[in-house]
Amino acid sequence: MIQKPFDRLAAAVLGAALLSGASASLAADPITIGYVYPSPAGDVGWARELDNGRAAVEQALGENVESVVVENVPEGPDAARIMNQMASQGADMIMLGSFGYMNDGMKLAKRYPDIDFIHASGYLLADNFSNFQTRNYESAYAAGQAAGYVTDSNDIGMVAAYAIPEIVGLINAFTLGARSVNPDATSRVVWLNSWFNPSKAQESARSLIAQGSDVIFSIYQDTPSVVTVAEEEGVYVVNTSSDMKSYAPNHLLASMQIDWSDYFVAKAQSVIDDEFVGDAFFGGMADGAVSVESLSDDLSAEQRQTVEGTIAAITDGSFHPFTGPLVDQSGQTRVADGETLDDAAITSMNWLVEGVQTKLPN
Amino acid sequence: MIDLLAFLLAGTLAAATPLLFAAMGEVVVEKSGVLNLGIEGLMASGAAAAFVVVASGGSVGAALSIAALAGLVLSCVFAALVLVCLAHQVAAGLAVGILGLGASVQIGKAFEGRTIAPIARIDLGALSELPVIGRAFFGQTPTVYAGLVAVALVWWFLNRSRAGLVVRAVGESPSAADAIGYPVALIRFAAIAFGGVMAGLGGACLTLAYTPLWADGLIAGRGWIVVALVVFGAWRPGRILLGAWLFGAVSLLELALQGVGFAIPSQLLSALPYLVTIAVLALISRDPRRLRLDQPVSLGKTHVPRA
Repeated sequence: MIQKPFDRLAAAVLGAALLSGASASLAADPITIGYVYPSPAGDVGWARELDNGRAAVEQALGENVESVVVENVPEGPDAARIMNQMASQGADMIMLGSFGYMNDGMKLAKRYPDIDFIHASGYLLADNFSNFQTRNYESAYAAGQAAGYVTDSNDIGMVAAYAIPEIVGLINAFTLGARSVNPDATSRVVWLNSWFNPSKAQESARSLIAQGSDVIFSIYQDTPSVVTVAEEEGVYVVNTSSDMKSYAPNHLLASMQIDWSDYFVAKAQSVIDDEFVGDAFFGGMADGAVSVESLSDDLSAEQRQTVEGTIAAITDGSFHPFTGPLVDQSGQTRVADGETLDDAAITSMNWLVEGVQTKLPN
Repeated sequence: MIDLLAFLLAGTLAAATPLLFAAMGEVVVEKSGVLNLGIEGLMASGAAAAFVVVASGGSVGAALSIAALAGLVLSCVFAALVLVCLAHQVAAGLAVGILGLGASVQIGKAFEGRTIAPIARIDLGALSELPVIGRAFFGQTPTVYAGLVAVALVWWFLNRSRAGLVVRAVGESPSAADAIGYPVALIRFAAIAFGGVMAGLGGACLTLAYTPLWADGLIAGRGWIVVALVVFGAWRPGRILLGAWLFGAVSLLELALQGVGFAIPSQLLSALPYLVTIAVLALISRDPRRLRLDQPVSLGKTHVPRA
């Protein structure tokens, strides 16, 4: 049962469908999983990848699961209402697809200990409340190497939403990757101060290109806005979440794909087996949660080999992108030679590495 | 630096175009004494409708027609509310605006996140290649020039044509216009319908030329900027044009300054276009007499026709 309601208001109708669906197939006794996405699941982007995870669960567990999907749910009272509805109508597991659903989700988890929750990007945990994140910095480092190779102006432009630790980590990893193969490469960032504004994202990319950037890094833009501008202006582009090759067939340098399939399937299975545990998942290349896709053919064989070597080394654990010596913008050494940042330091990163020209807004 | 200047100049004209279309419609509506606050929803529906037509293989002409139709249909709903049911204009405008936003989501549902090839820029050979001004003045999409023509036409209509004089008379004193035999409701309906068509076209400029993709929320407050622009420009097409350029320039300047690495917090820069809007509004309101001269006297007031 795949449902894509037209909007949030349809949730009530959904609830009824959910009930009838559940009673109609009592024989198989499937579990019901509710999914809440912060944006519509379009062709590409964050919600698309969450929805691909949902599809993988249905594929893997077949008749044992039923799905209820509500897209484009703003963080806040609407989200709380929709999860409450899912909970009161018999969902066994609820996937919360945005950081801002965290507190409402946790309240609900306390009230319904029988319902298991998995939550994207957050940090709260309980027996029935897990969170999941990706190590996108791993793919950012590898894609950054590709960017370091192809840039002529040594000027990488980045379009980013907000200066939160996760995005700061991506900017750092990308810049470190670029400078590992091209020590002269620098980067600069335009902060949109908005999660969603495709026009502004496009103008930011144009502005960076006008100022000399010849590689653009589009960070967490849910639409191909920046990617299409790069194709139009003829500069290379790297994007996050989904493979956007089809939107920039000539100038996509690489896409930093995320994949929730294995994690979602494992969690759903654990609910069926009644073995759900509340834990934190920080999935990287080794887990198959993060990968670099559509690496451009414009790289030479040698360059490609380096990037693929980096990916292999990150995957088998022999290399960590945040390995010292790491120097911040002010010249202060943040990580000593040979040491690596631990996960806590990565997820709370609030400093930019040497080579990033833009200061953090504070 | 030259490239940056060219980007700012060309970008400003392009960014102002969707605003100009909708504002030229709204100024005529307001001059007839009706306040339509639903522009945001009208633009969103026009944007979605135009996008869907082109993404499904339709021509740009068809897309523009459908966008105009979408704006027209919604403005007819608004007109029915305020002219027939004599509903409060502010409340009716807000309701239709929200309706339009919802309709845009519904229309664009299957096309979420998709992109299309933008309308081609005109190419005048050597002229379009000129440094700095080439792309800005001789290499834009046709919609940019159409927007400027619309400003000239609306200015001529309001200030030089007999029909424009009647529209203004209705906006100043509907009861007087009524008394001398003008069909007030019909004239206001025509103005509202024109406003709807223009808002729909403004939305279409956004998805066909400026940001050639569709995503829920793409209009991002432009409809409200349009309402502010009309006041900002004191209901005069020429000044509204300047206002639209100013707004476009400041919103691009923010991005350019960030890229240069200016030591101003980016949050403050993001607020810049709105701060400038507030500052200019405060400045032009310093002389309330002049503002009152330009503002239609019965703007927003419901006119009850003679029995």
